[in-house]
Amino acid sequence: MKAFIIILLLSLSSFASDSSLNLQVKILEKIISEISINKEKIIWSDNKEISKAIENHKLLQTTPNCKKATIMILQDKNNLPKECSHCAIFVLDYALLSQVQKSFGAFFWKKGRPNIVILKSRLKSLLIQASSDLDPYLEEKVW
Amino acid sequence: MVKAKEFFLFLMLFILGVFFIYIYFFIKETQEEIFVKMQKNKIEDVSFILKNIEETLVTKNSIFSEEDLVSYLSNKHNRTNYEEMIALFITPNIKYIYLLHKDPENRFRFLLDASKEDKANFYQKFDVFNQEYELVYKTLKPQIIQQQKMQNLYLTYLYPIKSSNEIIGILSVDITSNIQSEILELLKPLETFFVILIIFIFLLMLMTIMQVFHYFITRKKIFTDPLTQVYNRNYLQEITPRLNLNNYSLAMIDLDHFKVINDIYGHKAGDAILAKCSLIMKSSIRDNDILLRYGGEEFMLLLYNRDSKDNLSEIYERIRKNISSHIFTYEKHKIEMQVSIGVHEYPASEKNLNEAIKVADKMLYIAKKEGRNRIIYHKESSKTTEISNSKDIYFVKQAIEEDRVLCYYQPIYECSSGEIFKYEALVRIIDINGQIIAPMQFLPELKHTNIHYKLTKRILSLVFDKFKDSSLRVSINMNFTDLINKDIEASLIDTFSSNPSLASRVTIEVLESDEIQNSALFKEKVKLLHSYGATVSIDDFGSGYSNFKSILDIEANYLKIDGSLVKNIATNEKDFKVVKSIIAFAKESNMIAIAEFVHSSEVYDKLSELGVEYMQGYFIAKPCERLLKRSELFES
Repeated sequence: MKAFIIILLLSLSSFASDSSLNLQVKILEKIISEISINKEKIIWSDNKEISKAIENHKLLQTTPNCKKATIMILQDKNNLPKECSHCAIFVLDYALLSQVQKSFGAFFWKKGRPNIVILKSRLKSLLIQASSDLDPYLEEKVW
Repeated sequence: MVKAKEFFLFLMLFILGVFFIYIYFFIKETQEEIFVKMQKNKIEDVSFILKNIEETLVTKNSIFSEEDLVSYLSNKHNRTNYEEMIALFITPNIKYIYLLHKDPENRFRFLLDASKEDKANFYQKFDVFNQEYELVYKTLKPQIIQQQKMQNLYLTYLYPIKSSNEIIGILSVDITSNIQSEILELLKPLETFFVILIIFIFLLMLMTIMQVFHYFITRKKIFTDPLTQVYNRNYLQEITPRLNLNNYSLAMIDLDHFKVINDIYGHKAGDAILAKCSLIMKSSIRDNDILLRYGGEEFMLLLYNRDSKDNLSEIYERIRKNISSHIFTYEKHKIEMQVSIGVHEYPASEKNLNEAIKVADKMLYIAKKEGRNRIIYHKESSKTTEISNSKDIYFVKQAIEEDRVLCYYQPIYECSSGEIFKYEALVRIIDINGQIIAPMQFLPELKHTNIHYKLTKRILSLVFDKFKDSSLRVSINMNFTDLINKDIEASLIDTFSSNPSLASRVTIEVLESDEIQNSALFKEKVKLLHSYGATVSIDDFGSGYSNFKSILDIEANYLKIDGSLVKNIATNEKDFKVVKSIIAFAKESNMIAIAEFVHSSEVYDKLSELGVEYMQGYFIAKPCERLLKRSELFES
């Protein structure tokens, strides 16, 4: 857990020098690497910049076809393809957690600070395991 | 000496650099102070607002614990009321005001959020990473977080909401301010100006340091003789203005017969010996003595005389002995070397250093004249007697430079024909008063000096010029060292090659002396002259170290009987016998005997009696600037 906080702190301190997108992608990669979905993690995102950045980092596998994806990073609810509803969904807005029932967590900026929320109940229902590093971010519900 | 100018410049630049650094940091500090004051001011304002909010919220609503607070604000109506109230304080600079509460799991959650944008839900988790949030709980005091350009946030002010001296929540205010950045922007050109100025000054300082460093590097090269690694004359010039001659004894040291070493073994051998000699000299003197190469094989030594425990004459003697006892080796050759030293013990008594050097130089010439390998100290008597009649090296040097060297010609008379057989060229110098100076007054001083070679070259040039287009014969005097000198040899070859007629009319008269040690080399040079048709005469035969076999080996054409033997032939039986033997030896050896110093009819008659065919002397004719004719002989 400490390592996770450190990476967040480092990310935060390097905020000035690193681009916002790059920082966001690093945090997302870290979160996704801390969960297991019993399947190969193949990422698809409606945010093409994030998708491209993850692809470039080569830490996680990405796909341009959401049907082949196992994890979806969703920025806009309207971009959620119906045929891809099988994916575990990670959203980029706190409000989307309520709107997209299949989403299990969110990464978003609140008052200029990066925030992470992982919903315990949805992890359970989606058969997703999260490492203890994510414990500080686990929430019972969306407030 | 490092130039004071460079030091002054460096010092000025350093002071200027320090001054500008001080100004730079002063501006920075002032800037910080302005920010701190502005921050303090802003926080004070905010603090009053937050205090009012706290009072309103806690006191008016009888909130005593965190639970009470959460419970009270769980009511949407209450929340809306307070959020509307707090929102009144939102300004362009105060971006967010929100109330946080730490839940039992130590997570911060929003209870109120009066922000107009990016508004959080009630009880939504808020991830915080700064320790100041915890410090509020520990210290019960407000905390300030300086934000690092985070989404335009400048600072966050954390105000504890207390009840019964316990923290029940934190009112957090995020302040964005453009004033600071505006001030920074305004000050940036000034800051940049100072940074550039400081860099520029430091570059100049670096250049000055490099210049001084370069000066030290080149200084050594400029003042050191590369061959001997002792100081050179540049150094003497540098120290002369500061040199207190009262503290020194001055000596001029010259390597004896050094030219011979150069001529016989080559310049490389000469260089090696020079370097070794200077090493020996350096090891024979003390640290505070100054040794420098004055020129060629001549060294100048300034012995520090303020150290009473050292006897200076012992040091001079040590130098002489150390060099004479050392066996120099060059390419399997074992070479012995000696030095002559002229000392001026009180150089300060002279007008200046140059005058003192002249005196020491004269002592050196006396040392040379007296047989070399010795030290001559300057005494008042030596100054007046030894030097009075003799002309020094500078006299000759000046005469050469001012074209005051000329030749007189003395006829050599052929007794059988009654004709002038040839002329002997005899050097003269016209002094600045127009007086003719005889060679006896300046030649001894010149022996083995470069000036001697220059003088020989000048004589050759004068004689060749005079005889090149005539049919007359001429004899030119030379030392053995002249003959083996490369420059003179080149000059002879050059003239003889271009004018074979002149070559056939020239006789080189070489003085028979101790210097003709290397007869093989002498023979080689004679052969060379013969190859161009020139003839060779052994001069002053009978006076020196006559070795009949060597003379035979040399295969000279003429044998000139020494004048000191000839002049007494009429009165001294022994001299008569010696001259008679020499004439017989010359005849047997196919050499023509010439008698010089024929100063009277008695001598002339005696020589005629002995069958001497060629004669010269005052009885026949005195040397004259022009070429005398047959009819002008025997006039005196």
